[in-house]
Amino acid sequence: MNFTISEEQQSAQQLAQQILGDFTDVDKLKALEQRQESFDNGLWQALAKAGLLGLDIAEDQGGTGLGFYSLTTLCEEVGRTVAPVPVIPVLVSAAGTLRRFASDTQKDQWLPGIASGATLITAALEEYNNDDPTAPSCSAQKMEGGYSISGTKICVSQASSAARILLSAQTEEGIVVALVDPHASGVTLNAQIVTTGETRHELVMTKVQVPTQDIVAIGSEALAAMDWAHLATRTALAAMAVGLCDKMMRITGQYTSEREQFGRPIATFQAVSHRVADCYIDVECLRLVTQQAASLINESHPAKDAVHIAKIWCGNVTHRVSQASQHCHGGTGVDRDYPLFRYCQWARQIELTSGSSAQLTGELGQAICAEYLSKAG
Amino acid sequence: MNIELTAQQKALQLEVREYMKTVMTPELLEEIKIPEFKEGGGPEFRKQYARMGTDGWIGLSWSKELGGKELSHIEQYIFTDEVVRSGFAYPFLTTESTTPVIAANASAEVCEEVVGGVKQGKVVIAIGYSEPNAGTDLASLTTKAERDGDDWIINGQKMWTSLANFADYVWLAARTDPDATKKHKGLTMFLVPTNIEGFSLTPVNTLGVRTNATYYSDVRIPDKYRVGDVNAGWKLITGQLNIERLSLFTHGQVDSLYQGVCEWAAQTAAPKGGKLIEQPWVQHNLATVKSGLEVVKLICWKQVWAMDQGPLNMADASVAKVYSSEFFVELYRLLLEVMGQAGTIATNSPGAVLRGKIEFRWRVGAVLTFGGGANEVQRDIIAMAGLWMPRTR
Repeated sequence: MNFTISEEQQSAQQLAQQILGDFTDVDKLKALEQRQESFDNGLWQALAKAGLLGLDIAEDQGGTGLGFYSLTTLCEEVGRTVAPVPVIPVLVSAAGTLRRFASDTQKDQWLPGIASGATLITAALEEYNNDDPTAPSCSAQKMEGGYSISGTKICVSQASSAARILLSAQTEEGIVVALVDPHASGVTLNAQIVTTGETRHELVMTKVQVPTQDIVAIGSEALAAMDWAHLATRTALAAMAVGLCDKMMRITGQYTSEREQFGRPIATFQAVSHRVADCYIDVECLRLVTQQAASLINESHPAKDAVHIAKIWCGNVTHRVSQASQHCHGGTGVDRDYPLFRYCQWARQIELTSGSSAQLTGELGQAICAEYLSKAG
Repeated sequence: MNIELTAQQKALQLEVREYMKTVMTPELLEEIKIPEFKEGGGPEFRKQYARMGTDGWIGLSWSKELGGKELSHIEQYIFTDEVVRSGFAYPFLTTESTTPVIAANASAEVCEEVVGGVKQGKVVIAIGYSEPNAGTDLASLTTKAERDGDDWIINGQKMWTSLANFADYVWLAARTDPDATKKHKGLTMFLVPTNIEGFSLTPVNTLGVRTNATYYSDVRIPDKYRVGDVNAGWKLITGQLNIERLSLFTHGQVDSLYQGVCEWAAQTAAPKGGKLIEQPWVQHNLATVKSGLEVVKLICWKQVWAMDQGPLNMADASVAKVYSSEFFVELYRLLLEVMGQAGTIATNSPGAVLRGKIEFRWRVGAVLTFGGGANEVQRDIIAMAGLWMPRTR
């Protein structure tokens, strides 16, 4: 048992902090928002240059190979700075899955470009009322030279600018994981504005032809790939929430220490300081369950329960810390000239992505039921 | 970053778990049905405690000089976790909190008598801090000790002196300088043998267990029973608080309750068919408990890991106390809800689920949120030490 992260990982995290800090001052974020952009390519290229896009990409493919845990610390820093960069869909859901499940040819084709910042591969894991990519309702039919895919994915990040979109579909013999070209015939992208304010896309596929070279996995391999993507994405969201909530709570601690009412800083009222202290407790709990999930995935150990628990905490803590922060700020918190609103929007987005706390608590309960019924014989 | 027990640590866990099964003899299980002996003190408890001493299980964390094994905090926690899980009323406050402090600060003669006795499983020490008017604000205590030649004369009253009804000594905080500019600077620590003239007690029956009020009426003890320097007692009190908490909020004790209820619900029929555990609301409670329990485990592991690295961060220690105490209370409720009416059936009555353990733990658990440092004080500490917020008033 060891809670320290390696020196290499520490310096990667510090480097990320520094770059993200430089690129995310309030004026820069505002300017991007005014141009209705939700992707800062300058920042993305700076992260690429520093080797931070390749944390979980092997050295052979242009990465540093530091591993999944290290990548989650980058997600944490992105959350801390609400930086408009698609680290989770591109680096975790897409690149992480390709690294572990794609053919060598596919890895050589796509991963170096992702690490260098030249190419975006995104992922579309969610459908309406279904966040589980191992059980998609999109369908795929085998045909000469590949598969024909039909169906709808939602809230896809970077759908129009990505070279390919990693997704799963159901065939008659299990699922298939494919890289879909957003410019292929049969693909329609409908813009969807989401809570963070960014533009995502509904991806509607009508008999989209995917050539064999873009099929990542089929059958049990595909199932394993989507299972990994699901767990890794949830864990990365929890890691992002750690940074996000930690920062919200610190902004609130500082604001209440300075804001005076009745002739004294409002933080000197226990009713106020205890609410912020509760955020501190929540963030520490979230950090612990997230570190556990991330380190289990990093070690390729069974992580299903740990990830479930991390995402349950993630949903609850993002909600609680966000509301407490807004409340303790009074009107200042909701003002778009003050940075807090961005954090609160991201908090809700993360909470509802890849399974809510209520849903996951229900699923965890079913798993407990199955475990103990089988023990009882 | 690797948050799992090593093979060695798992082996220790298993070894202690198996050993503790031999400590919880059928005689002891009968004895603890008697309310007076529920928290230890009966003859079979004494016998098994002494056996643990003989078998070398007491004082594993102590230095080799004291006959300990200098186990790391992680290993010590694994031991503690398993002992608490077993249900044995092991006197942690004696072995882990007070004895190491006594060993480091008392005279050689008293060390041999007290530390040696603890090592053999023959000595139990009760804590004499709280008073009727000194609880959370402990430094305002008024029990006084006055020097008289080579002796000290002690007068006053202590409250919540748990285990004093069978303990051999009270680890007593007394005021030795009534004029100290800061009230915590006028305190000195003493060991008061409970068989001494002038010492008496009355039982205090609580919602949970029996505790005591203890009285000190011209109790005369020789100076050798003073521990540490005169007026330097505060550091001896606060130095062991984190270690005390570490034995209060362990994972195993509540994890075993959770597992017990899961097993029970998987065997118990639901009124309209199927098993109770198949009901969505039961699953919701069990999943909520499991999510919270995971954090108890991780908090404990992180604390002991951090203690092996250096001094414990103040805010983290307070986070552990607040989270665990409030979650324990919540857990008892969530598990009792699963049992419904049957959850109210007390230990020795027919139909009690899991021998009524959770009904009893809930009773005892009422003290958790204020005992060992009230949670309000802990939240003040978190705001100041963790977030640099100004002191509240």
